[in-house]
Amino acid sequence: MEKTADGKHRIVVRRRMPAPREIVYEAWIDPEGFREWMCPGDVISAEAQLDVRVGGSFRIVMRSKDKVHEHVGTYQVVDPPAKLVFTWSGLENSSEITLVTVEFLAHGKESELVITHEGFPQSDVAGRYEMGWGTIAKKFSEYLANDQRTAKKPA
Amino acid sequence: MVEYGESAELDHIFSALADPTRRAILRILARQPATIQEIAEPFPVSLNAVSKHVMVLERAGLVRREIRGREHHCWIEPGPLHEADAWLERYRHFWEQRMDALEVVVKRKLKAAKGAGMHGKNR
Repeated sequence: MEKTADGKHRIVVRRRMPAPREIVYEAWIDPEGFREWMCPGDVISAEAQLDVRVGGSFRIVMRSKDKVHEHVGTYQVVDPPAKLVFTWSGLENSSEITLVTVEFLAHGKESELVITHEGFPQSDVAGRYEMGWGTIAKKFSEYLANDQRTAKKPA
Repeated sequence: MVEYGESAELDHIFSALADPTRRAILRILARQPATIQEIAEPFPVSLNAVSKHVMVLERAGLVRREIRGREHHCWIEPGPLHEADAWLERYRHFWEQRMDALEVVVKRKLKAAKGAGMHGKNR
């Protein structure tokens, strides 16, 4: 977990891919491919619509046994086959808009994907922090840590 | 609805932490998991009273309890205190899982592209 300059949270996931970046990029923007890899595991079916151009949007519906997740977003940077930047939000919590940057780096016949997901958020987590959650959690951890130290000292 | 849920959760945590016996129980569990009997040892109260305190901590999401035979094993649940981390970890897991699946699609596309390439040369 990392923090951006404005205090929001960011995660970075890097992954090596056994194919040139053109192919990886293609798998990302092709609706059939996107639908397939966006829905692994217990996700049983999905629909995907992609309009890959700056200002264009995407929508993906993922269905698992008991839940339906719908994610939507808008492409902000479309730079084939090197970079995609798009907004990302779940409709069930649509006030939360995060930003995903996908970089496709060339490594000879292979490539590397760097996914940076940031802008987490002023809602779920940060809302609790605004309510003083952060302070409470911090104080409480300090309290427990202090106490563990005193507990170890002989009385 | 969400606001109510959050404040109800906070109410549980505040009231759980407001009691000195419950704070002492958390301190014990912060060191290591323990049974109700072990927790009760330093307190001049009944097992039943300790069990009730633990129940309040459980309701606040701060402690978990598992019943094995006749013993109730308890341990501290840092979850509510590390909500932000947990939430981000879920997203990290989401992307890592997606990358596994993407690799499968990429391998298939690579194979198809190689096939098409050879086809092209023969023409």
